[in-house]
Amino acid sequence: MAVAATHVGGGIADHVHPEPQGFIRRYVFSIDHKIIGIQYLITGFIFLVLAGLLAEVIRTQLMNANGGFVSNNTYNEVYSIHGSAMVWLVVIPLMTGAFGNFVMPLQIGARDVAFPWLNMVSFWMFPVAGLMLFSSFLMGAPVAGWTEYPPMSLQGEAGTSMWCAAIFLVGISSTLTGMNFMVTILKMRAPGMTLTRMPLFVWAQLATAPLSMVATTALAGALAALFMERQFGVPFFDPTKGGSPLLWQHMFWFYSHPAVYIMILPAFGMISEILPTFARKPIFGYKMIAFSSVTIALAGFMVWAHHMFTSGLAPFMQLPFMLLTFVIAVPTGVKIFSWITTLWGGKIHFTSAMLFAIGFVVLFALGGITGIFLASVPTDLHLHGTYFVVAHFHYVLVGGSLMGIFAGFYYWFPKMSGRMLSETLGKWHFWLFVAGFNGTFLPMHWLGFEGMPRRVAVYDPQFQFWNRVESVSSYVMTFAILLFFVNILVSLRRGKKAGPNPWKARTLEWQIPSPPHYYNFKHVPTVYGLPYDFSEPLPYRGLDDELNDAPAPVPAGAH
Amino acid sequence: MIEKQSSVKGLGPGFWPFTALLSLLAAANIYFWAVTPISRWMPTAVTVATQIDALFRVFLAVGIALFIFILGYAVFFSIVFRARKEDPPDALGVQIHDNHKLELWWTVLPTIAVILISWASVRVWFPIQIASAATPAGLVVESIGHQWFYTFRYPGINGEVTGNMHLPVGQAVTLNVSSEDVIHSFWVPAMRLKQDMVPGLVNIMRFTTDRVGRYRIICTEFCGVNHAIMNKQYLVIQPKAQFDAWYHQWQVKNATASNALPQVSSAPIDLSDGSAAAGQVLFTQKCSACHAIGPFTQRIVGPGLKGVLHDPSHPNLLSGKPATPANVADILQHGLQGSYGQMPTQVQNALTDKDIANLVAYLNSLK
Repeated sequence: MAVAATHVGGGIADHVHPEPQGFIRRYVFSIDHKIIGIQYLITGFIFLVLAGLLAEVIRTQLMNANGGFVSNNTYNEVYSIHGSAMVWLVVIPLMTGAFGNFVMPLQIGARDVAFPWLNMVSFWMFPVAGLMLFSSFLMGAPVAGWTEYPPMSLQGEAGTSMWCAAIFLVGISSTLTGMNFMVTILKMRAPGMTLTRMPLFVWAQLATAPLSMVATTALAGALAALFMERQFGVPFFDPTKGGSPLLWQHMFWFYSHPAVYIMILPAFGMISEILPTFARKPIFGYKMIAFSSVTIALAGFMVWAHHMFTSGLAPFMQLPFMLLTFVIAVPTGVKIFSWITTLWGGKIHFTSAMLFAIGFVVLFALGGITGIFLASVPTDLHLHGTYFVVAHFHYVLVGGSLMGIFAGFYYWFPKMSGRMLSETLGKWHFWLFVAGFNGTFLPMHWLGFEGMPRRVAVYDPQFQFWNRVESVSSYVMTFAILLFFVNILVSLRRGKKAGPNPWKARTLEWQIPSPPHYYNFKHVPTVYGLPYDFSEPLPYRGLDDELNDAPAPVPAGAH
Repeated sequence: MIEKQSSVKGLGPGFWPFTALLSLLAAANIYFWAVTPISRWMPTAVTVATQIDALFRVFLAVGIALFIFILGYAVFFSIVFRARKEDPPDALGVQIHDNHKLELWWTVLPTIAVILISWASVRVWFPIQIASAATPAGLVVESIGHQWFYTFRYPGINGEVTGNMHLPVGQAVTLNVSSEDVIHSFWVPAMRLKQDMVPGLVNIMRFTTDRVGRYRIICTEFCGVNHAIMNKQYLVIQPKAQFDAWYHQWQVKNATASNALPQVSSAPIDLSDGSAAAGQVLFTQKCSACHAIGPFTQRIVGPGLKGVLHDPSHPNLLSGKPATPANVADILQHGLQGSYGQMPTQVQNALTDKDIANLVAYLNSLK
């Protein structure tokens, strides 16, 4: 009962747990959302390095039309693990696990997520799943790409079953995080923070959470079925035993199309925080941006079969999937126009975070435009399965998501570490990355159009020139990422002290010390308005003690 | 605090001249795609390719024009509205939140654009995918994907044609594609068409050839270790006389091919040298749409066939005769009409005598 009594005052959001002592409970099996966020960040970056090295194996192989750097079979293993790792071990965990965990509870004025223990469990599944995925190299890794279409994946070596298990596990982690964030955002906002006063990053996480919860379960079903078919011969997909190869494609894309939005919506949110802060003006069209995130998330569930236009759908089935996919262009366009208009009339400070944010808008827009070519059935009949598709999704996932991750990292690193990153290295990182990125992926558009299929270890010599341009550019891109990691390591030791609010930003996380205390807020603040009115006083009350020596809040009884 | 805010006259310095420049570039791009056929870079081999190219040109014209504006304004606003050294450190931008008129416009205009591209897409999609099904089939050819090559079946040629696929020019063609192992894809870039070859499924491509030439056939679905070199065969479109010569050559060459298209005869089939392995392959092409390899009760259309010749609880076939190889062959040869539905005859299912021997050997091997 004593426990219940402590809950009365400020409600669930004002509940403080005692800070754990000892290294293990603080930094390894932590239940603090900030530590878990940073654990996700470090683990995700380690997998980014590994999967990035695999990408360089791919590009080095493709330097020559006859390959020759690795065997064809190794090449197939390498791009399959590259894709799987980038999607499930890098982009999704960084977008939700890392930035969602660190930033979102701070932005809504909460002391932690709704289920801190569940959060810890979610995190620890992730490195385990990552090790399982990479261990598949030891037993013959999957070769049929990140999509693993049967019956091809039924022929794969033992590592394909390990792939199923690894992705299943990381999928559960993602589902649990989605549930956790959903409850946190709906139930734990500070008093006064109505839905329409939430920062746009929180809106983006709110739109993402149901995608993680619902779509990932379809993937889990598909993976379980593939695993059972491979290990126990239960015929789901093998047509010689009465299974259907297309069943996998439907189940896989019912997850993987919404997953595209799991990988991009949080970046939309980050960009919507960064642009106003460095343009020193309110985000343009707050409600439209928030509403379009939700629209995109909902529509994202109804377009999965546009990945299957050449698979053998009944022809009339193609029509609704094509038209619904076109519809997504409207909310996406609204966002892009709103971001560009946010720049208009600003006082723009070109920090590294801002450069990456502006770069995101432009490169993501190009990825969106090429999406139209693939959404339309007649043009997709030509482009499906070619390098044009590879170009399209790398513009969305690297030019979009990864640029968003970099933007978010430059923006929130001072809050996480209390130190500033080097802006000089940051700008080198940006310009080299953008140059290398476009050199790597822009030529893929015409290579695919002219007849280069994806997932090939060797190719027709007529494509060699542009492939060499791409490979050399990819080394530039990798060098830029190396500078990024050098920047982090140097800045962690020698970076300038950041202070609580180096960017003069207005969301709640910037009104408390960097890094924040274990309990986040000494008193849970009350919120009176949107955080984007730069000419007005801050719309919060109850933050007076955050930056002085006032005592920490008293923990509730242990339980 | 108001004095720290910047104020902008109209839409800002240089906005209209810059917009004019972007419009000029966009117009030049649209003009370029209006007058430049894609066949300048890539030949077209069939009539629908030109229609698909027209759609490509619409998307390229509109898409690149749109990108010119997005990139242009992002860069232009970044330069014009950058913070300058002489600004006070806490200078602010213009404090506007939204503009309902503007937002209405950029919701309505993309909606109209979406309706237009939908209309343009459906206009090309409908004849290729829907209306073509109602036109005469023309020459019906079958292509089967294998790890890692294509084979073809032509009416009047026994067995399978290997190597290049030949078609006469100006010919309406129905191409049925399937696979005997994993998913492949049949893509001819010069046709701008592709269909996946899915085992257990027949996908249909319809087109009319209209330009003589050799066009590469490329697999675009990953199909195993040699997927990358499954691009060595060509679609050869040639004048009717040359095609006829090629066709005749294959007729002669395959005259005695073992899996020739059969006539149903009443003579019992020689089952002596059936190959179970070949039968297994055939089963996926010819039988698995209706029969599972599972117990009798695992019904798709017909019963499951696992152990059909060795199942003590079902000593008789559905024809009422005892489960012997000869009686199974009899059903494959003459079909069966029963409570389960219609089993096709040897001719309807395009099975040779040898095919039947192989299938019976395969079924006999399932215990």
